[in-house]
Amino acid sequence: MALSGYLATSFVYLGVYVLACWAMNLQYGVTGIYNLAFIIFQSAGAYTAAVLSLGPSSQNSSFQQYIGGYRLPFPLPILAGAVVAGVLSLVVGLVVLRRLRSDYQAIVMLTLSVMASLLVISAVPLFNGPAGLSLVPQPLATTFNVSPVTYSWLYGGFCAGLCLIVYVFVRRITSSPLGRALRTVRENDAAAAALGKNVNALRLFSFVAGGAIAGLSGALLVGYIGVWAPSTWGYAETIVVLTAVIIGGSGNDAGAFLGALLVPVLIVQGSTFIPQFGPPELVPALQWILIGVLGLVFVYFWPRGIIPERLRRFAPERPTHEPLLGAERSGSPTLE
Amino acid sequence: MNTLVQAIGFGLVSAAIIAVAAVGFTMQFGVTNILNLAYGDVMTASAYIGYLVNNAGLSIAYSLVVGAVVGGALSLALNRYLFRRYIRHGTQLFGMIVVTLSVAVIIQNILLVSFGPSFFVYRIPLGGGIKLGPARFSGVQLVIMAIAVVTMALVHVGLTRTRLGKCMRATACDAVLAQTCGVFTDRVVDAAWLLSGMLCGLAGVVLVLSTTAFQSTTGSEFLILIVAAAMLGGVGQAHGAMIAAVIVGVITSITAAYSNPSYQDIAGFGVLVIVLLWRPRGLFGKVEGERGIP
Amino acid sequence: MASRSPSKADKRPPRTHRRNDVAWRTPTSRSILIAAASAVAALVLAACGSGSAGGGASGKPTGKLTFVTFAPFSGPDAAFGASKVAGIIPAIYAIDHGGGILGDTKVGWMESDSRGDPADAVPIAQKLLLTTPSMVGIIGPTSDESTATVPIFNAAHIPTFALTGQIAFNRNTYPYFWRITPPDNDVGLAMAMYAHARGYTSAAMVFGTDIGATGAVPSLLKAWQHLGGKVVANESLPLDQSSYQSEAAKVAAAHPQVIFFEADAQTSATYLSELNQMHGLVPFIGTDGTTVPSWTGPVAKAVGQATFDKYYVGAQPYAPTSGPSFDAWKAAFNAVRSQEPKPASQWLDSSFAFAGYDGAIIMALAMDAAKSTNTKVFNAFVPKVTSASPGAVKVYSYAAGRRALAQGKQIQYVGATGVIAFDQYHNSPGGFEIINSKFNFITAYTAAQIGALSVASGATNVG
Repeated sequence: MALSGYLATSFVYLGVYVLACWAMNLQYGVTGIYNLAFIIFQSAGAYTAAVLSLGPSSQNSSFQQYIGGYRLPFPLPILAGAVVAGVLSLVVGLVVLRRLRSDYQAIVMLTLSVMASLLVISAVPLFNGPAGLSLVPQPLATTFNVSPVTYSWLYGGFCAGLCLIVYVFVRRITSSPLGRALRTVRENDAAAAALGKNVNALRLFSFVAGGAIAGLSGALLVGYIGVWAPSTWGYAETIVVLTAVIIGGSGNDAGAFLGALLVPVLIVQGSTFIPQFGPPELVPALQWILIGVLGLVFVYFWPRGIIPERLRRFAPERPTHEPLLGAERSGSPTLE
Repeated sequence: MNTLVQAIGFGLVSAAIIAVAAVGFTMQFGVTNILNLAYGDVMTASAYIGYLVNNAGLSIAYSLVVGAVVGGALSLALNRYLFRRYIRHGTQLFGMIVVTLSVAVIIQNILLVSFGPSFFVYRIPLGGGIKLGPARFSGVQLVIMAIAVVTMALVHVGLTRTRLGKCMRATACDAVLAQTCGVFTDRVVDAAWLLSGMLCGLAGVVLVLSTTAFQSTTGSEFLILIVAAAMLGGVGQAHGAMIAAVIVGVITSITAAYSNPSYQDIAGFGVLVIVLLWRPRGLFGKVEGERGIP
Repeated sequence: MASRSPSKADKRPPRTHRRNDVAWRTPTSRSILIAAASAVAALVLAACGSGSAGGGASGKPTGKLTFVTFAPFSGPDAAFGASKVAGIIPAIYAIDHGGGILGDTKVGWMESDSRGDPADAVPIAQKLLLTTPSMVGIIGPTSDESTATVPIFNAAHIPTFALTGQIAFNRNTYPYFWRITPPDNDVGLAMAMYAHARGYTSAAMVFGTDIGATGAVPSLLKAWQHLGGKVVANESLPLDQSSYQSEAAKVAAAHPQVIFFEADAQTSATYLSELNQMHGLVPFIGTDGTTVPSWTGPVAKAVGQATFDKYYVGAQPYAPTSGPSFDAWKAAFNAVRSQEPKPASQWLDSSFAFAGYDGAIIMALAMDAAKSTNTKVFNAFVPKVTSASPGAVKVYSYAAGRRALAQGKQIQYVGATGVIAFDQYHNSPGGFEIINSKFNFITAYTAAQIGALSVASGATNVG
C-alpha cells in the first residue's frame, strides 16, 4: 500500500518534472535562451491555479490572505495557470530578450527571479506572503471520492495524458522547419538574421511556449500537493531543472525526459543512501556536497548529457548513385 | 529632509560593503568572463577563518588581513585548478554557471559540516561613533567605510598606474590581442583572481562585521546584490562597480526609509533592470556583443 | 570510397570531421537502453533504499519500533531538526530504561530531512512510509511542510506530534494529528498581556518576513489594541540584510516604550545591535522564536550581555524547569548528554526539546495502555493517557506511567511541557510563560487567560 502510494506520487512528480524539463529544453536546449528565471513561470502557474480553485479568502477562518478565490471548477484553474504563465513570459521576454547579450540576460533573469520572490514575500495580501497558500483543493477530489492512493493514480494518469499532449506539441515544433530555425538561432543568431529569420520573434515564441508549459507543470503540482510557498520556488530550483536537462541531454526531448527522471529522483534518493551518523546536519550536508560533485563531474565528462542531441548532417552517409539533388529533396541542408 | 540625508548616510554604509565585493566580482567576470556564483561562499569561508582568528584573541585588524589572504588563496586555487580546466575543456557560459554553483554548494556545506548550523559573532569592541548631521554612525560603520575608501583607492591606483593593472585591463578587453602584445595572460589571470579573491575575502569579513551574526548561508544570500551592482556598473569596470554600489546602497536605503523596508532590495534590483534596458551594457560597460572566454 | 559519378564527387560538400565532444551517436537502441536501465535502477533504488538502519547518533539498533523526526535538517531552518532530535534521544532512553514498550520492546529513532519546503517534503514523506515499516510515530513536521505532509501521514495512520504553530491547524480534523505546542497566534496574546501588565501603552512591532513571525502579528495587534495599547511603528524586516539602519531609525523616531519583536538570529543581531549603537535599546519582548539559545546567544553577543539581560524578555510555551516531570526529563537528558546535538547545554531548558520528548513518551504510553503497537489502535489512547479523568493517577515519567498502567490504573501523564489537555481539534495549547535572558521564569499565563483574551479581542477569528 505504501509502495503504491509512493509510486503514484513518484509518477505524478515525474510528470510535473518532465513537463518542466521539456519547457526548459525548448528554451535552453533548442533555442539557447538562458532562462535563469524559469521557476517564476512555474510558480505563476501554480499560484494562479491555487487562487482560482480556492474559495474566497475571507471565509474559512481567514488565516490566509490572497487575491482571487473564485473556486473555479476543474480544468479551468490549470488552463488558467498555463495561460497566465505564458502571458508573464511574453512580458518578460519582450523586455529582456531583445537587447541584452546572453550573459547579461542570464543575470537579469536571475535578478527577476529573486525580485519576484521578494515581492511575493513582502506583499502579503497577494499570495499570503512567506507562509504561502495551503489547503488548495485537489481537482475533482470530491467528485471522485476515492481513497488517496487511488486518487494519486488517477492524477498520475491525468498528468501522463497531459504529458502526451505536450509532447506532441513540442515534437511538432522541434522537428519542423520552425525547430530548425530555433536551432539556428541557438547556434548563430547573426547567421539566422542574415538569412531573413526574425530572431527576436523566434526567441520570444520559444520563451512563451516554454513559459506556458512551465506554468502548466506548476498548476499540476499545486493541485496535487495542495500547498505552494516561497520556499518551494527559490532561484536555486531553476538550477535543478537546468541540471536535469544538461545531465539528461539538452536539445532533445528524450534527454530532457531522462534528466527529469534522474535528477529529482537522485535528490530524493540521496536521503537514504548515507546511513545516519554524526550530528543531525551532517548527512544532509553530505548529500548536497554529493550533488555539487555530480554537477561538476557531469559538466566535465558529459557536457552534452547522457542522451545527446542528434546533430543534423550535411550529407547523406550512405553512398548513393542518385544525383545529389534527388537525394536531398530540400534545398540547403540545415537551414530551412 | 532630515530623513533623506540620514537615508543617504546609511546608504553609504551599505554601499561600502557592496563596493568592496562588487569590485572583486566584476574583476573576475571582466578578466575571465566567468560568472562566479561561488563568490558569496568564498566570502563566507573567509569570514569563518577570520572568526577563528578573532576568537583566538586577536583584534579585528588581524581578522581582516587573514580573511583577505584566505579569500585570495581560495579564489586563486579555484581558478587555477578547477575553472581553468573546464574552460580549456570547452565548457561554455552556462556550463560554467553550473560549475560555479556546484562549487558554491560544496563550499557552503563543508562550512556547515565544519562549524555546525549555529550563528557566530565576532568580538567587536562596542561603542564609539559620531553624529554627522542627522545621521549617526557607529564606530564599526566608520571603520567599514574607511576600509572601503582605502581599498577603492588602492584598486584605482593599481589598475591605472601599475603595469599589472594595465595588463589586466588589456586582458579584460581582448585577451588574444593582449597576448600578441606580449602579455602573459595566464599569469595575469592568476593575479586577477588572487587580487579579486582578496577583495572577496575582505568583503566577507566586512560583511559579517556589519551583520554582527553570521552562519554558513550569510555570504551567498548577499551574492545577488553584489552581482546586481557589478552588472549595473558594467562588467569588468571597477570604477563602474564602485559607483553602482553607491547607487544601489542609497536606493535601497531611501526605499527602506520612506516605504516598507521589505521592498528595499526590490528597488535596488529594479534600478538594475531599468538601467540595463536603457543601456544594455551597464552604466560604464565598454564592450558590446558576445565575447568568448579567453 | 563508394562509387560516385566522378563529375559530382568534387562538388559534394566535404565530410565534417568527427570531434570527440560532439557525439555522433544517435538516440539508437543504445541510448534507449541506458534510459530504461536508469529508470529501472532509480525505481528499484527507490523501493528498497537502505532506509537508514535507525538508531541514534550512537548507532543504537532500531528494535521493532521506530520514532521518526521529520523536520528540516538542511537549509535555513536546519536548527528545527536539531531541536526535535534533542527531545527524542532522552525520550528513547527513558522508554528503553523504563521497561520498554509492552513488556520489553525497545524503541529507536531515525531522522528524516524534509528539506524545509513542501514540494520536496511530499515525496520524502511517501518514501519514508515505504521504507520504514517499523515507524510507529512521527515527531514533526514543522511549519515549513506541515500542510502538505500531515494529510499523507494521516492517510497512512501514523500518529504525528506536529511542532507547527500554523493557524491552519487550529480547527484540525485529522484524527492522527496531535499538537502540544501552541499556535502562533497565542504567543502574541501572551506578549500583549505582559506588556500591558508592565504598564506600557505605546509599542512598536518589528517582525521579520518569515513564516513564524507573520503568524503572531495579527492576534498580537488585536490583543494589544483591545487592551488599550497604541502601535507607534510597524516595520517588517527583510531577512539577512547587511544593515538595518533606516528601519532602526524609524522605530527610534517613534519613541516606543516597548518593542514586540521576532526575526531570525542573524537579522535580529544586525538590527538590534544597530538600534543599540545608534539610539539605545528599549525593552523588547520576543516570541517563542527567540527563546532558544541559538537566538539569544548571538544576539546577546551582538548587543552586549549586560544590555541584553536588561532589556530582553521572551514569551514561550509554559515549560517548567522544576518539578517531577522536569526531574524525569533531566535524568534522561543527563544519561544521554553525550549524544545530544552540540552544545548539549542549550537543550536542558528548551521547550522545543520538551515537546519532542513528551510526544514520544505519550505515544509509548498510549501503546502500553492500548496493549498494542498497531498505530490504528493506540492512536485513540493518546488522549486517554493524558486527560484528567476521575481516578486517573498523575504520572511524571515513562517508567511511572508504565508501572501504573500495568497495575490496571488510568493515568494522566503530565509532561515536561506541563499538563496536556487535548481539545476536540487535537490541540493542547497550554499556557505561556515570560522568561528573561537567562531563561528564568518571570510570570505565566494560563490557557484559560489566553483563551479569554482571545475571545474578547476578536483574535479568535483568526483560525
